[in-house]
Amino acid sequence: MASVDLVDVRKAYGDHEVIHGVSISISDGQFVALVGPSGCGKSTLLRMIAGLEPITAGEIRIDSKVVNDLEPKDRDIAMVFQNYALYPHKNVADNMGFALQMRRVPKPQIAERVKRAAEILGLVPYLGRYPRQLSGGQRQRVAMGRAIVRDPKVFLFDEPLSNLDAKLRVQMRAEIKELHQRLKTTTVYVTHDQVEAMTMADKIVVLHDGVVEQIGSPLELYDRPANLFVAGFIGSPAMNMIQGIIRPGATPTFEAEDGTQLPLSGAPSNSDGRKAIYGFRPEHLTLGGPVKTEIAVIEPTGSETQVVARLAGQKIVGVFRERISARPGEMLAVAPNLSSVHLFDATSGQRLQ
Amino acid sequence: MGRTGARTGGISARYFSSRIVIYGLLILWAIICLFPIYWTFTTSFKVAVNVTQGHLIPWVDFTPDWRGWRSIGLSPDTIGETSTPREEFLKRFENSIIASLCAAALAVVIGSCAAYGLSRFNYKFGPMRNKDISFFFLSQLILPPVVLAMPFLVLYKELALLDTRIGLILIYTLTVLPIVIWIMRDQFDTIPTELEQAALVDGCSAWSAFLRIILPIALPGMVAAFILSVILCWNEYFFAALLTSTSAKTLPVMVASQTGSQGINWWSMAALSTAAILPLIVIGIFLERYIVKGLTAGSVK
Ligand SMILES: Nc1ncnc2c1ncn2[C@@H]1O[C@H](COP(=O)(O)OP(=O)(O)O)[C@@H](O)[C@H]1O
Ligand SMILES: [Mg+2]
Repeated sequence: MASVDLVDVRKAYGDHEVIHGVSISISDGQFVALVGPSGCGKSTLLRMIAGLEPITAGEIRIDSKVVNDLEPKDRDIAMVFQNYALYPHKNVADNMGFALQMRRVPKPQIAERVKRAAEILGLVPYLGRYPRQLSGGQRQRVAMGRAIVRDPKVFLFDEPLSNLDAKLRVQMRAEIKELHQRLKTTTVYVTHDQVEAMTMADKIVVLHDGVVEQIGSPLELYDRPANLFVAGFIGSPAMNMIQGIIRPGATPTFEAEDGTQLPLSGAPSNSDGRKAIYGFRPEHLTLGGPVKTEIAVIEPTGSETQVVARLAGQKIVGVFRERISARPGEMLAVAPNLSSVHLFDATSGQRLQ
Repeated sequence: MGRTGARTGGISARYFSSRIVIYGLLILWAIICLFPIYWTFTTSFKVAVNVTQGHLIPWVDFTPDWRGWRSIGLSPDTIGETSTPREEFLKRFENSIIASLCAAALAVVIGSCAAYGLSRFNYKFGPMRNKDISFFFLSQLILPPVVLAMPFLVLYKELALLDTRIGLILIYTLTVLPIVIWIMRDQFDTIPTELEQAALVDGCSAWSAFLRIILPIALPGMVAAFILSVILCWNEYFFAALLTSTSAKTLPVMVASQTGSQGINWWSMAALSTAAILPLIVIGIFLERYIVKGLTAGSVK
């Protein structure tokens, strides 16, 4: 177990910089998710921590020791790859024991540790099989087994669940989390799926085009997104966003581009006439209120009702606990929860206080 | 019953007639392919008259005779005695085997390393990138060997490699290397790089990842490349004729030299040829599936 620190880490392929100065500090035993859209540099960052990719600038420390120039084998990390990367010519036991074998651990001890890991992962009946004889979920477990037998300082996961079907993914999600609670090994987990990040991580790093957009606990990111990108990326269905102008005054309001007035609890200072984005999450709407919307689609799921409606010439989504009997085309009066409204600057995209 | 019976009868009749046509064509093709081997083999039991008159079927057309095999000391009555032609033959046979096996082994070792490099690392050689370097290797096959005759003759003379097995092994390695590189690069390309990366994380150095993880996976391809190289070297005539004379001469050269001044010794030539193609037939029958397995990509799922 160890802490991991990235200090202004950069990566360029030729003249093309893909990681633009990333600093993250991960404390001992933390489960950190690196999340972001495909191509934003998550894998590159993870591979730099692993030592598989040289670092163009900056510093990576594991357990307070700079590892920039250490080979992967000397960093004491274990990595789980997206396509599992199991050795096809070795059976499950040998796949799991290979790292120990390379470290010259005595044979009986290897067998013992492989057996223990196999028990944790429910792989005991498959120890003699070859990877091609396993299902996707089993291969996934072997890949994890290969990581845990070593008892490394850090686990690195690169989208380990993206090749599994939806049901298995949810199940493995819980298993990985449980495993982490049991082993308490520092973990860096890369995913493009914000739900995975939200449900599993202690801390989320949102990455976009090689830049860290925000670092925080899942609920911090959800409740106080630092900018438009995080606001739109975290949460499903996504946050509703409406462009317009802030009108402070006795009763501060937000005026959408078509003149629709939306309520505000207060306006940031010096924001008169400022172009901004008004954001609210679908579940932060209550029925009945000053805002009139035209219903486009109603989707009852039983436990809640999802409504797609038109507001200020734009589609918004609302999720209500109540059942709604109105039909498409009718008007629905709603009110955004004033304490849950987010304002972002229209040009910089940054959150306004 | 009548109707269904008639219908199944119709289907099976059609099925059988199509089978008969298919098998008929296949058998015909097999005969066409195997005929030269049959002809070579039977000719080794013929005498001059049978050859010139085109007799084909033993015991019907002609009476088999051990003449051809006796001329190389391999007939039942000569096999126990000392025979200079047999010693000569065995020496050529040994030369062929050593030259083919060593050259193929050397080419597979060197070629695998080159192919691994081309598959995994990015090289810049002047304006050439990996793709260009690969093509450069392969383009060596386009060059007719005749062009190389004079330079190699001079070079080998200077290096005292003329008429040596070493010299033969070196030139054979050179000629099959492009094919080996091509095959092996294809093999390595199908192996995901994550496997090496996993090995690096698991505690391997770059070399041990190659030796412990990648090579075993690429083994079928290496076997295929090896067998193919052996066959190509075994059949090689041009450089063997050019660069060897007495001590390192190979079987194909010996076969060709049966055209003496008194005309062609069909029977002994046929006997020699039969002995020369025998190893290839063995390879064809027993090792063919390794070639197929190694050359069809997707050794790793
Ligand atoms: N070997 C490479 N050479 C050049 N560019 C690369 C290389 N590897 C990745 N990139 C670029 O770096 C960016 C980040 O890639 P990656 O880390 O794989 O993204 P992610 O894992 O977030 O989907 C991408 O734009 C990709 O095109
Ligand atoms: Mg990736």
